[in-house]
Amino acid sequence: MLRIDEKVSVLVNQLGEPIGFSWRGASYLVNSKPVRWFARKQWWVDAARVQRGIGAGVLEVEMWRLQASRSESDRAQFELIHNAQSNSWQLARIFN
Amino acid sequence: MSGFTHLNVASAFSGHYGVTRPELLDEAAVALGFDALAVADRDGLYGSVKHIGACLKLGIQPIVGVNLCVLSETGEALARCVILAHGQNRGAGWAKLCAITSAAHAGRRNNNKREYPVAIKRSKLAQLIGDDGGCTILLGPDSDVGRATLASSQGAGGSQGAGGAQGAAQSALAAWLACFKLPGSLAIEVVTHLTEPGTAYSTLQAQRMLQLADHNKVPAVLTNAVRYLQPDDALTADVLDAARFLEPLGFFEPQPNAQAWLKPSEAMHAIAVEVAGDRTRALQLIETTNRLAARCKLDAPNDCGWGKPKTPEKSALGIDGNPFEVLWQKAHDGIERFYPRASARTLQEVQHRLSKELITISKLGFATYFLTVADVAQMIRDMKIRSQARGSGAGSLVNYLLGISGVDPIEHDLLFERFLSTERSSLPDIDIDVESARRHDIYNAIFKRYGSSRVTLLSMQSTYRGRGAMRDSGLALGLEDDQIDDIAKNMWRFSARSFRGALGTKPELAKFAEAVEEDRRMNLLVDITERLDRLPRHISMHPCGVILGDTSLLQLTSVEPSGMGLPMSQFDKDDMDPMGMLKLDVLGVRMQSAMAYAVREAARVRGEAIDLDNVPRDDAATYKLIRTTDTLGIFQIESPGQRELTGKHQPTEFNDLTIQISLFRPGPMKGNMIAPYLDGRHGFAKPDFIHRDLEPILRESWGIVIFHEHVLRILNVMTGCGLARADEFRRSLENPRVKPIVEEFFRRETKLRGYPQAVIDRVWSILEGFSSFGFCKAHGAAFALPTYQSAWLKTHYPTEFMAGLFTHDPGMYPRRLLLSEARRLGVKILPLNVNRSTDEYLVEKVARKTTDVNEPEIGVRMSLVDVQGISNAEIARIIAEQPFDSVGDFYMRAKPSRRTLERLALVGALDELTGDTAATRGDIMARVRQLNSVKTRPTLRSDQPTLDFEIGEQLPTGNAEPTLAQKINDELNIMHMDVSDHVIEQYRPMLDAMGVLRSDELVGLRSKTDVLVAGVRVATQTPPMRSGKRVVFITLDDGAGCSDATFFDEAQSRCSSVLFNTRLMVIAGKTRRTGVRGVSLMAENAWDLTELWNQWLAAKAS
Repeated sequence: MLRIDEKVSVLVNQLGEPIGFSWRGASYLVNSKPVRWFARKQWWVDAARVQRGIGAGVLEVEMWRLQASRSESDRAQFELIHNAQSNSWQLARIFN
Repeated sequence: MSGFTHLNVASAFSGHYGVTRPELLDEAAVALGFDALAVADRDGLYGSVKHIGACLKLGIQPIVGVNLCVLSETGEALARCVILAHGQNRGAGWAKLCAITSAAHAGRRNNNKREYPVAIKRSKLAQLIGDDGGCTILLGPDSDVGRATLASSQGAGGSQGAGGAQGAAQSALAAWLACFKLPGSLAIEVVTHLTEPGTAYSTLQAQRMLQLADHNKVPAVLTNAVRYLQPDDALTADVLDAARFLEPLGFFEPQPNAQAWLKPSEAMHAIAVEVAGDRTRALQLIETTNRLAARCKLDAPNDCGWGKPKTPEKSALGIDGNPFEVLWQKAHDGIERFYPRASARTLQEVQHRLSKELITISKLGFATYFLTVADVAQMIRDMKIRSQARGSGAGSLVNYLLGISGVDPIEHDLLFERFLSTERSSLPDIDIDVESARRHDIYNAIFKRYGSSRVTLLSMQSTYRGRGAMRDSGLALGLEDDQIDDIAKNMWRFSARSFRGALGTKPELAKFAEAVEEDRRMNLLVDITERLDRLPRHISMHPCGVILGDTSLLQLTSVEPSGMGLPMSQFDKDDMDPMGMLKLDVLGVRMQSAMAYAVREAARVRGEAIDLDNVPRDDAATYKLIRTTDTLGIFQIESPGQRELTGKHQPTEFNDLTIQISLFRPGPMKGNMIAPYLDGRHGFAKPDFIHRDLEPILRESWGIVIFHEHVLRILNVMTGCGLARADEFRRSLENPRVKPIVEEFFRRETKLRGYPQAVIDRVWSILEGFSSFGFCKAHGAAFALPTYQSAWLKTHYPTEFMAGLFTHDPGMYPRRLLLSEARRLGVKILPLNVNRSTDEYLVEKVARKTTDVNEPEIGVRMSLVDVQGISNAEIARIIAEQPFDSVGDFYMRAKPSRRTLERLALVGALDELTGDTAATRGDIMARVRQLNSVKTRPTLRSDQPTLDFEIGEQLPTGNAEPTLAQKINDELNIMHMDVSDHVIEQYRPMLDAMGVLRSDELVGLRSKTDVLVAGVRVATQTPPMRSGKRVVFITLDDGAGCSDATFFDEAQSRCSSVLFNTRLMVIAGKTRRTGVRGVSLMAENAWDLTELWNQWLAAKAS
């Protein structure tokens, strides 16, 4: 497993599921049904405020687990983080 | 697809778990278009009545369940399951749910959930569900089955690789199916919180649960295991988890994410598709869920007895025949007893009033209710326990004639309609105050008399308020205890919901506000404290409520053990009326115990029998004492504010006490009603009755509307609506939606009767403003009775009365202030003495030291209970072994711990044991040290000589007697009381040098004189003010009496450091005369007395 934590640009389908992304100049094509899940954050360690109504974004984070590849040979499992508020993506981890 | 129903929802009444109150969940359910909602609270039906009530109001269908831990035969936790009651079966399902919930608490000896976890064995659960069903158990992710589906899925490979896991899950499910054979009694609960694939509450787990259900042909339902309304509430849930685990965040496994919210139908359908994989199976899943929901919809009246009054059966009350006839007879019998020498006119009034009341009671069908309360009241009297009805019930002649209330409603002009009328059909409240020390005896007697199938105690949900919310928030963030204490100390009178707002405006929080700016954790602390505010915190025994019902009671409410062991309903007082349950408030009042104690001591020591309930209520000496404002220890009028009011008011008769007690309330104070009342009374202003029709009504209060009874009479006189409807109108005034209707009625009817417009406008504005103020006169009169009785005792039996106050501690002040008051009254204080002191403050005969015939021949002996750290066992041994003839003898037979022995010696409790007047306390201390240095205590056996401990011991000699200041210091440290002399006396040289006045000198000064006062803080109050600004009142005691100082904004910020936490103070201010005997200080500055003392000593030394 590799921790990456770098911004990536992601292409999504109508359901909002990633179908491809580019990272470090290379394009990756998703070739599995991506699984979305929600992980949590330790807001007591890093949040500045948690007042009523601040929203669950302080607590949880949307994750996507998917298989993708650059070419036929180097298929791997990737984990992407989606920030719904800014609609930005981050590559979190790669599993071989 | 059709709709969806949430079957697993925990409300905020799932202590330290659920976040949202049931009413809010129900409102949200309506907004989301749901037609039904289940609430299943953890460990109890705590929120169920509020949920059902809200559903009925909102027009959706209520479903109720409970969330319980189920154990294996060997006691291991198998699962946390939601168990839902089936509805529309005339209570069969509801009764079973109650029985199951109660069973999960049975065997717990108290309500400490840590020590005795709430749980039910699977076999017990199966036995209770039995062959006829009535409930459905949901087996979800939090069960052995759910956990087994995950067991080997950590590795990759999806469902094929989980064969072993599915095998384990299969056998776990088989065990459940073997216990619950009845179809429909078990369902698989499919839940996904969209957690990391392969973990608990993940979609993968949900998929496996669904496959398992299908494979075994067990119905599967979809829920979201809801614990909050919106995703944002998940943050609050984190904090509640910390409070439940008693661990800071980060020290336990937190909830996986923020998905446990009340998701809308569409979202749940999407989840169904995601889990099932295809739309057909998803549809089935939703349909099965909705079918179970339909089966669980409760028919509140027929399933839960909603709104149907329940009272004990006639047989339980020991009556034959028609209850109304029995009530009629009993009430009429009372006339002779309570009006033996009444005039024909009074008797006629009594007869008339009684008929009117009985007709109302008959119409409402409440005869059994009154007979029940009368039966309990009689039982309490038979137990020789002082009792006294309070509240609007004192306005009922029936209550007076049945001996429930001790206040004559005819004499005091009280209205029945305020208590009961045909316009309302809810059971009225009758509250009985009893001696606090005997309260549990009464509860036990009630259980014995009516049987435990008809009686339970009432519970109470306490909620998070300011400091409590901040403390648990601090714990969640892992703050240090003393850091939390520091902040808590300065949290005064503001709602935690507006914590952040308070930071900027409260001077004592200024330091904390700075910390918030700099420290991120303090910032979070403020935010989560605001989130916790008002949430239910824990359930406990209601301080006075007993539920009396018929033998169906335990089929209608779940019960759990209370702190005192007796079963307690899981419903609270607000649930009683909707459930049609009869709640009797038997409230322990310490003052009643204190008075009973004084009466007992007078009988024991003086041989005088006092019939306190029948002493004349016009004793001049008693009112004279009250008028001096020396009211410390007197019921209801001892607070600084009441003392000030007493000084201005100068009561001369019983009705004055009723009025004064009723005036000193936030409403009248905010409404500025006190000043015009006093002006009228003292003849400073001509009373304004507004209209001659109102003069007879308001004559007693100089034109001021004080009582609910005034409002009823005004409405009745000016509109002719009748008193019963008038009370309905009065109640409606509090409801902004209905108020305009009342106003229209009032204006129309008064106009028709020809009242001038100006009068109508003025009266309406008074009535309108009154809504939040008023006080029921019956309640005031019921309170005034113990006020008068305690004042009478203080006047005529001060020693016995003070002994009663010391022993039962009824008031708002620390015992050391009462001691100071006793000393001031000339009551003899007898020091602690191991040969005479007990666990009570006994009155003792003592010889006069002077020839003054006024010198009392009795005194109060200090009690062992105040010795710091002394155990009950030690006290019991001392009392059992008394008397002792030497320190060694005491050491051998009373077997005190080393520390207790030393402390007793330090406060002089062993002084009498020396038999040698020349011996000093220093000598005794030396002897104690000898004894305490022996490593193993010798046992007292007849066959062993106890050499060193023989009688006739030799005391060491030549040790100095401690100084008075040392003695007082020891007394304060060990007993928290300055027994030998007032603590302030040791600072007298400095105080005299500074020109500090004694508190009894203030009354002789003019207004606006600059003065200094000093003393021990005895009270700090921040009452609500008309202006909305906060005012702090501090009361100091200096041995000569109390001085009261008022701190406004500027003074508060000037002395914020000493405002709340300094014990010995010097206050500078200007006198402010408030009445004949009333003086208080407008504080300008304040200091810590001990700091001044140290500076003074240093200055003197240099």
